Amino acid sequence: MSVRVNVLLWAQRVLARKGAPAHQLLEIPATASLEAAQDAFHEIARMAHPDLHRRVLTRDELELVELAYARVAGAYQDFRAQRMQAMRAASAESAAPPGRTRPETANLSAAAPAATSSSSSAGRMNSKATLYYRKAELCLRRGDLTGALLQLKLAIAGDPQSTFLRTALAELEAELSRK
Amino acid sequence: MGNDRKSSTASGDWGDNSENVSVALGIDLGTTNSAAAVATPTGVEFILGPRGERVHPSVVSFPSSGGVVVGADAKRYRLTEPHHVIHSAKRFIGQNIRTPVVQLAMAGVRYRIEEGPNQQPIVVVRDRRMTMPEISSNVLLHLKRCAERQLGTPIKDAVVTVPANFTDSQRQATKEAGRLAGLEVMRLINEPTAAALAYGFGHDRQQLICVYDFGGGTFDVSVLRMNGDVFEVLASEGDFFLGGDDLDRALCEVLAAECNRILRIDPRPHPSLMMKLMMGAEAIKCHLSENDAAEGEIDGLEAPGSQGGRLSFSITRAQFEGLIAGYINRTIEVTKQVLAHAGVDARSVSNVLCVGGSTRVPLVRQRLAKLFRKEPNTRLHPEEVVAQGAAIQAGSLVGTLAAGTGMGARDAVATISHSALGAAGNVLLPQQTIRRPVLMDVNPATLAIQTAGGFTERLLDKNAPIPIERARVFTTSRDNQTRVEIDCCRGENRLYGENEPLGTLVLEGLPAKPRGELQIEVSFRVDADGILHVRAADQMTGIRQEAHLQVLGAPTSEDA
Repeated sequence: MSVRVNVLLWAQRVLARKGAPAHQLLEIPATASLEAAQDAFHEIARMAHPDLHRRVLTRDELELVELAYARVAGAYQDFRAQRMQAMRAASAESAAPPGRTRPETANLSAAAPAATSSSSSAGRMNSKATLYYRKAELCLRRGDLTGALLQLKLAIAGDPQSTFLRTALAELEAELSRK
Repeated sequence: MGNDRKSSTASGDWGDNSENVSVALGIDLGTTNSAAAVATPTGVEFILGPRGERVHPSVVSFPSSGGVVVGADAKRYRLTEPHHVIHSAKRFIGQNIRTPVVQLAMAGVRYRIEEGPNQQPIVVVRDRRMTMPEISSNVLLHLKRCAERQLGTPIKDAVVTVPANFTDSQRQATKEAGRLAGLEVMRLINEPTAAALAYGFGHDRQQLICVYDFGGGTFDVSVLRMNGDVFEVLASEGDFFLGGDDLDRALCEVLAAECNRILRIDPRPHPSLMMKLMMGAEAIKCHLSENDAAEGEIDGLEAPGSQGGRLSFSITRAQFEGLIAGYINRTIEVTKQVLAHAGVDARSVSNVLCVGGSTRVPLVRQRLAKLFRKEPNTRLHPEEVVAQGAAIQAGSLVGTLAAGTGMGARDAVATISHSALGAAGNVLLPQQTIRRPVLMDVNPATLAIQTAGGFTERLLDKNAPIPIERARVFTTSRDNQTRVEIDCCRGENRLYGENEPLGTLVLEGLPAKPRGELQIEVSFRVDADGILHVRAADQMTGIRQEAHLQVLGAPTSEDA
């Protein structure tokens, strides 16, 4: 039941934002990275893809969700096009300096270099590890421990040095063995 | 659906409500062969033909003895009545007969095709005239009947696969074929996407995969990002007129020349001789996939009025590869384009899936291994994997899907071992949740409208995720303009005239205003089937026009 309410509320929110900038429809910050946008869009798809609701919603409701989803997909196309363009411009400009690492946090990169040094312990991972760590958090919030375990392992694969991740893994494994 | 059964299945995750669970068929409607399957709680079950075959030739025959014969039985008439055997209908469905590629394809078939209303190709057999959707509906109906016999239940819903680069009108025509066969086509999905689904459903990890689909008549390649249950197509491209048939034809030409040289019979004007050589070529091709050389004879090459003969041949794999290298190079070029479009490096692709019978050709596998620097995945059954993916999607849409209908579960097998398989195969399956794949397919072509000066304004990009909607506000270019025509086209070019026109939407009865004052919102929406809907509205008066663009070559409403 709550799934249904959630998706309908989301659809109304999206439709009310007609004409708003792409990031608002995707519900991400304007400065979000391409990866963050992709993840946000995947999350939306998992929750709101019309195929998932065919049997639960009425025809009118489904139409509403479909329209909202289609608009968000349009926003995603716009966002991706902007970012790809920016990336192409950037790589053309600064093809020279090698070894420059990418900004650290996953959700605030391109336009906000000031936000790079996040103070949280999770922030010291590289962007790939952060991405998986965030996903692990999402899994945990859903109560999906095995999913969280997998994401955490992927995070460690992305950043094998991080003691923070190793601690988190140990905790999670302990939790799993208790169950 | 008894409750006892529900609780006894290890992965007791049927749909949301177990009453009114219907069976939906997944159908791979191919150029040369078709296959169908259903997702059951224990795996994917294939629909078998009258002789237990899993692959059904997409051939419809109208023999002189009367009636309509479909599938393996229809193929038998190829030699005796080549004019009454309709094959490769997929090459013509939803196409405009006047396009050069269609004209070329017409040269490759022995039955008669004429121009019908709306420039659509019409098949003429004796005094019967049939549209291409009608021909294809016979194949679909055959599969439907086989399925009903096998499963003992009436079937009305289906998911049908189409090549990723199928256009709007080809998609509409395919849906029409389903309708004529008495099926509700819940969804059209792209063939490479279906293959990826069959491979990846149930794998809980992130990876980039490339699907290289080289079938009998078409070539498609897609790059996908798998993220748990989400299958996002990043880019897709293909060549609609390139397939295994072309490889056969290249070899057949050589055989025909040999026939002329040695036997002094020119087979080219004789359809039945050419058909025999074509069948010989196909057999040689298949033999060379396993062996380094093929030797033998093709007999029964009797031209009317001359004495018959047998043609002996000897061909090595290297010679054959020399003949077909051009075609294979073309597929590799397209694959490189797709990778570039997806912004993906060939080395970061973790799995290259081979789909379609033509991927059995060793040269194909070598070229792929060279490009991706890893051996392509050939464990999937190239002719069945697409139907399997379609069945998973069909099961997901009607809610009969359970976890683990993926690759390891091609046949309906014992329930318990099945979920054990999921765990053993390094796949984590949460037991309580209903796992349903989320397919994010892509828009096959850039869609745009004409603006002043003969330029285009792009509304939807090729490879954008579908379903998608995008709107733009336009204004009038002349004073007191009360009528606006919106020309829609498909293609990448900045100049309207260089693209393929799709149709025109007319908005009338607008209030007379100085130019630039009216605000007309044009929105393009591509639905989950890849079909375009265009809408235009005057934002002040609310005058609306909605169009389902009528494209040349598509079946007209009178045909219905």
